[in-house]
Amino acid sequence: MYTWHFDVPWDYRAVFLRGAAVTAEISVGALIIGLTCGLVIGLARLSKRRALSWPAAFFVETFRSTPTIVQLVWIYYALPILTGIQLSAYNAVLLGLGGHTAAYMAEIFRAGVNSIEKGQMRAALAIGMTPYQAMRRIILPQAVRRMVPPFVNEFATLVKLTSLASVLAVPEILHEANNLIASTYRPMEIYSTVALCFALIVFPMIYAASILEKLWRKDR
Amino acid sequence: MSPTPADGAAPAEGPQPLLRVAGLCKRFGALKVLHGIDLDVHRGEVVVIIGPSGSGKSTLLNCLNFLEPYDEGEVHFDGVLVGYRLDDKGRKRPMSHRAMSELRSEMGMVFQSFNLFPHKTVLQNVIEGPRIVRRQRRKEAIALGQALLDKVGIGDKAHVYPANISGGQQQRAAIARALAMRPRAMLFDEPTSALDPELVGEVLDVMKTLAAEGMTMVVVTHEMGFAREVADRLIVMDHGRIIEVGSAQEIFASPTHPRTAEFLRKVL
Repeated sequence: MYTWHFDVPWDYRAVFLRGAAVTAEISVGALIIGLTCGLVIGLARLSKRRALSWPAAFFVETFRSTPTIVQLVWIYYALPILTGIQLSAYNAVLLGLGGHTAAYMAEIFRAGVNSIEKGQMRAALAIGMTPYQAMRRIILPQAVRRMVPPFVNEFATLVKLTSLASVLAVPEILHEANNLIASTYRPMEIYSTVALCFALIVFPMIYAASILEKLWRKDR
Repeated sequence: MSPTPADGAAPAEGPQPLLRVAGLCKRFGALKVLHGIDLDVHRGEVVVIIGPSGSGKSTLLNCLNFLEPYDEGEVHFDGVLVGYRLDDKGRKRPMSHRAMSELRSEMGMVFQSFNLFPHKTVLQNVIEGPRIVRRQRRKEAIALGQALLDKVGIGDKAHVYPANISGGQQQRAAIARALAMRPRAMLFDEPTSALDPELVGEVLDVMKTLAAEGMTMVVVTHEMGFAREVADRLIVMDHGRIIEVGSAQEIFASPTHPRTAEFLRKVL
């Protein structure tokens, strides 16, 4: 019979907290990059101009068709060779996960905009709005509501992907945990605690999103 | 700035039609849906377009405000070419978004499927154009919007979301939204086709009022009673061509084109 010793992770709770702070930081940073770039790239991909839509499609498909861990390692090790720019491990992770999130956000934006009935754009143009005004005032406000569920999904995925930063020795939760395991030989308890930490970060977001969704449904 | 050259003072009530369509052609890929349409619509005139489905009526209407870009020919609104500008060498170039939106704001459009903005209340729908396109003050826009909603008989629904009113009320709200831009012409694309039969009348009544007030109107419809009562001129379309033009009385009584006769037998 295995005897669990959860007193070990408890004793090292400060380490987990420290790791969780870095995890949260990377998540929020990559989210901000992902949201802003994702909106721009998503709209670019919707454009009729190929000079805009093709590079956007290339960006999205590159990130979607390669493993995230390879992207991070590549940005950290290969980018300096190609460009001479050496990013810190932390910034490489921000850039990699930010790009990854941007690619998926772009697809969510695109799908959201495409899901709005064509008549909405036509009606907005017919009263004399420019395409830009119609997008900002009529299409996006409706689309954003439909984007919330996949958006939260993507954010949850992002939070969990930050654990990949451990391969570049960024001191987020998993990296801290691996160090702890090396010194305490308690992998079961420590990995269980890691799982709990992630659940505690991710679950409240999913819950908040479901409340928001219900609220929005009501005022229709 | 209005792109209209003859704007400013009272527009000449002379021979120049408000809408002039000449040699209009439209293709969807290999399919040619409009074969050289010629049509003038004069100020204050109500033109009703009828014809079998697939005859190009709606496409023609959508070309008038360039929601559907046309391939050949020209549409002029009050003397201004719609959708294109001519460069130094006289070639057609796409019109700027700003000039296009200016033109469209002067032509109200009402759609078969209403297309109200579902995330805005009825009043917000109506003031959206004046506020955003015309940059009117909020107070003025609301006063005008409320007056228009009263006029179409749904003043009490101003603060309700479109999903919570009937189809007939939604279409009347859509008419108010178009009127809020103080358009010089109104385009109606089968405005009653999506309505339950008992709701058709309330929408047609609003349209009759507009016609009586002298609004220039182009109406695509299957409502033959409305055509007979309100149309100054009836246009019959078939296979992307205008096959007959005349007063409703004439055409209903003695159609000259065999396809008109065939169509009327089915709908009258």
